[in-house]
Amino acid sequence: MTRRRIFVFGLAVMVFLGLGGAALAETIKIGVAGPYTGDAAAYGDNIKAGVSLKAKEINDAGGIKGQKIELVWGDDLCAPKEAGTVGAKFAADKSMVAVIGHVCSSATLAAMPSYVRTGMPVISATSTNPTIGEAGKGWFFRNCYTDDFQGRFLAKYAMTVLKLKNVAVFHENNDYAIGLKNVFVEEAKKLGLDIAGVEAYMKGTTDFNPQLTKLKAANPDGIFISGYYNEAALIAGQARKAEIGVSLFGADGLDNADYIKIAGKAADGSYMTVPFLAEAAGPEAKAFLDAFKATTGRDPDWMSANAYDCLGILAAAITKAGPDRKGIRDAMAAMNSPETGYKGITGMTFFDKQGDCQKPAFVKMVKDGKFVPAEQMQ
Amino acid sequence: MFLEQVFNGLTLGGIYALIAVGYTMVYGVIQLINFAHGEIYMLGAFFSYTFITFLGLDFFSSFALAMACCAVCGMLLDLVAYRPLRRSPRLAALITAIGMSIFLQNLAMIVWGSRPLPYPQSAVPEFFNQTAIVLPGFKLSWMQLFIYAVTLVMMTGLNLLIKKTSFGRAMRAVAQNKTMASLVGINVNRVITLTFALTGAMGAAAGILVGVYYNSIYPTMGYVAGVKAFAAAVLGGIGSVPGAMLGGVVLGVAEALGAGYLSSLYRDGISYAVMIAVIVFIPAGFFGKLIKEQKKSL
Repeated sequence: MTRRRIFVFGLAVMVFLGLGGAALAETIKIGVAGPYTGDAAAYGDNIKAGVSLKAKEINDAGGIKGQKIELVWGDDLCAPKEAGTVGAKFAADKSMVAVIGHVCSSATLAAMPSYVRTGMPVISATSTNPTIGEAGKGWFFRNCYTDDFQGRFLAKYAMTVLKLKNVAVFHENNDYAIGLKNVFVEEAKKLGLDIAGVEAYMKGTTDFNPQLTKLKAANPDGIFISGYYNEAALIAGQARKAEIGVSLFGADGLDNADYIKIAGKAADGSYMTVPFLAEAAGPEAKAFLDAFKATTGRDPDWMSANAYDCLGILAAAITKAGPDRKGIRDAMAAMNSPETGYKGITGMTFFDKQGDCQKPAFVKMVKDGKFVPAEQMQ
Repeated sequence: MFLEQVFNGLTLGGIYALIAVGYTMVYGVIQLINFAHGEIYMLGAFFSYTFITFLGLDFFSSFALAMACCAVCGMLLDLVAYRPLRRSPRLAALITAIGMSIFLQNLAMIVWGSRPLPYPQSAVPEFFNQTAIVLPGFKLSWMQLFIYAVTLVMMTGLNLLIKKTSFGRAMRAVAQNKTMASLVGINVNRVITLTFALTGAMGAAAGILVGVYYNSIYPTMGYVAGVKAFAAAVLGGIGSVPGAMLGGVVLGVAEALGAGYLSSLYRDGISYAVMIAVIVFIPAGFFGKLIKEQKKSL
């Protein structure tokens, strides 16, 4: 009886090993990290939509040299603690060759040490904090602009196009928002734009009335929200209720359907900078726009577009270097000029030594409950 | 601006008071901190959201119905989680309370999704957003007045209930000494269950007010509000209903003034610092009683 048990057990182990081995050879595992639950989950939805669409296209066409792409989702709740866990998990998974993520800059910064330590190439569609490039030590790439650029653009836009003179600033207490706020305030000072006040808030705050009361007294003619859509929507709603009728503007974090859903009518008239605008996209993007609308029923936002291109960039790297972590990293590092870069739906992407890339900024606004292009700055 | 911040604080404080009263009443009758109370508050908001969105009810009927549903939830909470542990060590009931809190949070995430939902503004009466009173420097909207009104009515109603009705007397008797109360003919279990029903209804009212006022409800909203309301109940003296009301208002005003004048980032820290300062000088809270550990003797 015991001998039979050992034999059956050994057989089962062999079957599992065989299956496992077969699975390893069949697919290329790519991790996708982002907030899929919690109050930033709408960002995760967009990333999922963009990456899944590209993965389907690649797999339907036969995969990369016969191997299909397998996506592994890592939920980091847009929080450093969970991001660290996801990072450690992905980094330890020997069969995973690359990671797309994370979404929030704080999360990316928290997970980066795990990736650097184990040599995992990471490409982010959305993390804009300028310090990530340095922390990545060559393993980090991104196809969105950095907040150095975005903050300065916002200050110029506020002054020249929105013609504001005195701006109040709200910012969340995280890497992304503080970095963006610092650049904005510095540039505003240089341009002569007054700052009526700077109010910080923690993630998850729902009551902004005390801060709005305080800022109202300084009489701003615009409010800059450096943060994510959930709190921004609440600030917009409460500002309107407190009869603060001034322009609201924010950055890439506000470009999300949930911003309009939560803020309702209060979202009308908000401006935001984004790295991708469907209306301004070239002809390469047309197929993507149609496919995206067909699968999700709505126009793509910039995060979906960037995530789509991220997988495209990884696919190009894997085609050149094979499913090997170091090879993929070197292939992406070699995309360092317009001649060697990747031409995707978001334009030409090529990386500098820190993995950062130059992308133009566009401006969107909310009108009658919908996102429309705003007046662009020349 | 100072007056406006005080009114901001009163709105916040009224809501904290409504929840704090729930903690304090349950502590009074069974000496248990009902950590799942924050989740009842959250369920109230979600129930009314569901009634408006899926049953098409108007705001006030969904308000009443959600309060009734949460009263039932409170009773179920007692029947399922706390009554079986009535004779067990206090620690068992405490752990169960924390467990129920986690369970209800995750249940809400499964049923309604884990992300914030906007409270349906269409069902809220139009005039709520209009100005009711104009004061020097700012305005109060009908919605804020509604919140003050609901809070005041519930607080006074509760006080009258406790002081003047026989049920209130029974509650006070059970809070003083369960054994003697049952000896004089009070059905202790029924009093406890009805207390839970009452606190459930009030917690639900607080949840709905928060949903309407801030326009955002999410499954983990009960945690932060619960902790703050617990702090308010302790500040006012745990076990004392007027204390919880006062504690809630004080905490709300301290938070609003702290956020407005000191630092909006550390607003929570400031309100807890106020609580700690009060406890250091008045260990039992405003209206609490210091009880020495009673040795159980036969």
